[in-house]
Amino acid sequence: MEKLATAWAIFQGLLLEAIPFLLLGVAIAGLARWLVPQKAWIGKLPRNPLLAPISGALMGLALPACECGNVPVARRLIASGAPMGTAFGFLFAAPVLNPIVLASTWAAFPDQPWLLIGRPLGAFFLAVLLSVLLVQLPDSQLLEAALLEERRMSQPLASRGLLERNSGLIGTPLPIEQPRSAQRERIGDVIDQSSREFLDLLALLVLGCIIAALVQTWIPRSWLLAVGSAPTASILALMALAVVVSVCSSVDAFLALGFAAQVTPGALMSFLLLGPVVDLKLVGLFTVLMRPRAIALTAVAASLGVLLIGQWVNLWQL
Amino acid sequence: MNRALLLLIWGWMVLWSVHSGRLDLLMNSVFHGLVGATGIALIVAGLLLLRRQRRPLERLRISWIASTGIAVLMVLAPPAPSFSDLASNRPQGIPQAPQLAFVLPPEQRSLTEWVRLLRSQPDPELVNGNPVNISGFVWRQNNAPPLIARLTVRCCLADATPAGLAVAWPETSEPKANQWLAIRGHMAVQLRNGNPMVVVVPTTIEEIERPERPLEP
Repeated sequence: MEKLATAWAIFQGLLLEAIPFLLLGVAIAGLARWLVPQKAWIGKLPRNPLLAPISGALMGLALPACECGNVPVARRLIASGAPMGTAFGFLFAAPVLNPIVLASTWAAFPDQPWLLIGRPLGAFFLAVLLSVLLVQLPDSQLLEAALLEERRMSQPLASRGLLERNSGLIGTPLPIEQPRSAQRERIGDVIDQSSREFLDLLALLVLGCIIAALVQTWIPRSWLLAVGSAPTASILALMALAVVVSVCSSVDAFLALGFAAQVTPGALMSFLLLGPVVDLKLVGLFTVLMRPRAIALTAVAASLGVLLIGQWVNLWQL
Repeated sequence: MNRALLLLIWGWMVLWSVHSGRLDLLMNSVFHGLVGATGIALIVAGLLLLRRQRRPLERLRISWIASTGIAVLMVLAPPAPSFSDLASNRPQGIPQAPQLAFVLPPEQRSLTEWVRLLRSQPDPELVNGNPVNISGFVWRQNNAPPLIARLTVRCCLADATPAGLAVAWPETSEPKANQWLAIRGHMAVQLRNGNPMVVVVPTTIEEIERPERPLEP
């Protein structure tokens, strides 16, 4: 019973700390839809397979939110017809490549310049790698069904196969000039839509926080840190810890500071890179973006990528 | 019941958490303002949606209702974590102080400051005989004498890290797990498992209520 009470408290802490960032993400996504309804800037985003994720990753610098806030923004990007690589590049890089996280990493590890440069660089390369990998999947195997439909609504008919269309129109429609006032969605409609999105994501966040709190309460953290000095084992252990702890990326560097001296540098880097991309709290949220197989592919690819980066850091630093 | 009402319930739960002071038990105080602003934003969004209420009312999704039920449960069942249990699940290794910390006179140091000081200057003889005036909860460990401890938190309870000090408990005292105590006494060096170790030797032990802000940054 005592453990259950502790899990309940951890759950409340995780949830109450994450809700502001989720709301911020939904608000930014709604605001973007309201301010830029004609996809003026989305049309200008690069569609090159490599430049698209790079541009998405760099967009993270403008959004000071942790990983929960990025999901609604990435979803809005995909639904608006942005290049898939850009949206995924943003999704995976923004939790690290944003001013707050960079500042907190610097505040936690001011005496480790390799980490201050290595973390954003690692997050950037990981995001590009995952994006390039995911866009190889056909849209129908990658995107969640409702999102796929939404995305198709925003794309010209010519970009869709005949069998994918739900109407009898063929070809690209002629552009119709509309008065600017008619193009902008009403703010009430934006709030209406955003509230649905928020409640959808919140339900998944609740689920993720429940799982994270239960796992944290019943698995002693010392088990994961027991293998601190073994190069590969310590990386794997810290990767598991990052997935379990599910702490937001804006403060994970401070948490890492607590055990930095007990683990290898590669393990430390792995903890700081994997948590913002994959954790128990995020798994539910990802289901509004991707199909289960794509989520599994993301988790496996991110883990392998982080393991390799961690090994490389250990070779270099040990 | 409609979507606006669900948002209002969530906003109310968040604001209630701020108002009732339970956030002090759950997360670092730097996040309190952000959580409060979120509660207000949710209430405002709920009220705006209420004005746009549609007829007939939309069917709410099960997931929305279930998650909002949990929000209500959060109000009805306040958090009551076992700090001792939480501490036993975490390795010791508290981070350095968030701000520049000056070394206070011994009797003014908090338990966390003592732990940080002992980590930075491991020679136990340097503090031998120093007066101690600290408070914390009793951390019961398996196969080891109980410690007096505090939890440090940078984000929320998920990253809570324990800081504990050994105590030379009087033979008559039987500290219970999670009991909050104020201890006055002095530091002494004792041999434990063959190693010299700093131990708090109490002159008075007083049972106290859990402080309003039990977590330390």
